[in-house]
Amino acid sequence: MRKTDILDVVARKLAPYMFLFGLYLVTFGDSSPGGGFQGGVVIASGIILIALARGTGTAEQLFPARNLAALETFSFGVFLLAGVLGIVVVAAFLGDPFDRDPGGIPWFVFLLNIVIGLKVAAGTGLICLTLFREA
Amino acid sequence: MARVAEVLAILLIAAFLFAALSGPHPAESALRGAVVERGYDETGAVNLVTAIYLGFRAFDTLGETIVLLLAVSGVVVLVGRHR
Repeated sequence: MRKTDILDVVARKLAPYMFLFGLYLVTFGDSSPGGGFQGGVVIASGIILIALARGTGTAEQLFPARNLAALETFSFGVFLLAGVLGIVVVAAFLGDPFDRDPGGIPWFVFLLNIVIGLKVAAGTGLICLTLFREA
Repeated sequence: MARVAEVLAILLIAAFLFAALSGPHPAESALRGAVVERGYDETGAVNLVTAIYLGFRAFDTLGETIVLLLAVSGVVVLVGRHR
C-alpha cells in the first residue's frame, strides 16, 4: 500500500487522542461505561494505527517489544499481588483491602482497572506488532 | 431453490429474535435484583458491569488475563522467533 501525506498526518494527530481516550476509559471505568479491557484495547488500537500508517519500525521505536512484554508481565504481577493483599488484609483472595468512603473512588476497583488496562494494551499491541512485522 | 431456503432461514431467525426480544426487558431475575441492590454497597463501583467483573467475579477476570498472557506468549514464541 502506498503511504500518503494525509494518512501520515491524520495518524500522527489522531493517535495521541486515542491514547488519551483509552486512559480516560480505564481510569473512569468504575463510574462510567468502559473499564480496563475496553480502554486497553483503545490504547492498543492507537499503537496499531501508528504501526499501520507509519510502519512497524516507527511503532517499535515508540513501543519496543521488550518494554511491552515487560509491562504485560509487570501488570499481571501487580494483579496477583493485589489478590494476595486481599488474603492478608480481609482473608479472601482478591478481596477489597482498602477502606471505602461512600461516594468516593473505590480504590481496589480503580487499581484493578488500571492494571488490566495496561496489561490489555501491552498484550494486544504486542500481538499485533509481532504479526505486522511478519506480514 | 437455494434462494427460497435463504429467505426461509432469515424468516426463521427473525421469528426467534422477535420472540426473544419482545418479552419483558430486561428480564427480571433474582441475580439481577441482587446485583442492582447490593452491587454499589459491596464494591463501591457505580458502573454495575465493573462491579460484577472486578468485584463479584474478580477471579474470573484473573482467568481472562491469564488467557491473554498465554495468547501473547504463543504469538511471540511461534511467530516472533527469528528476530
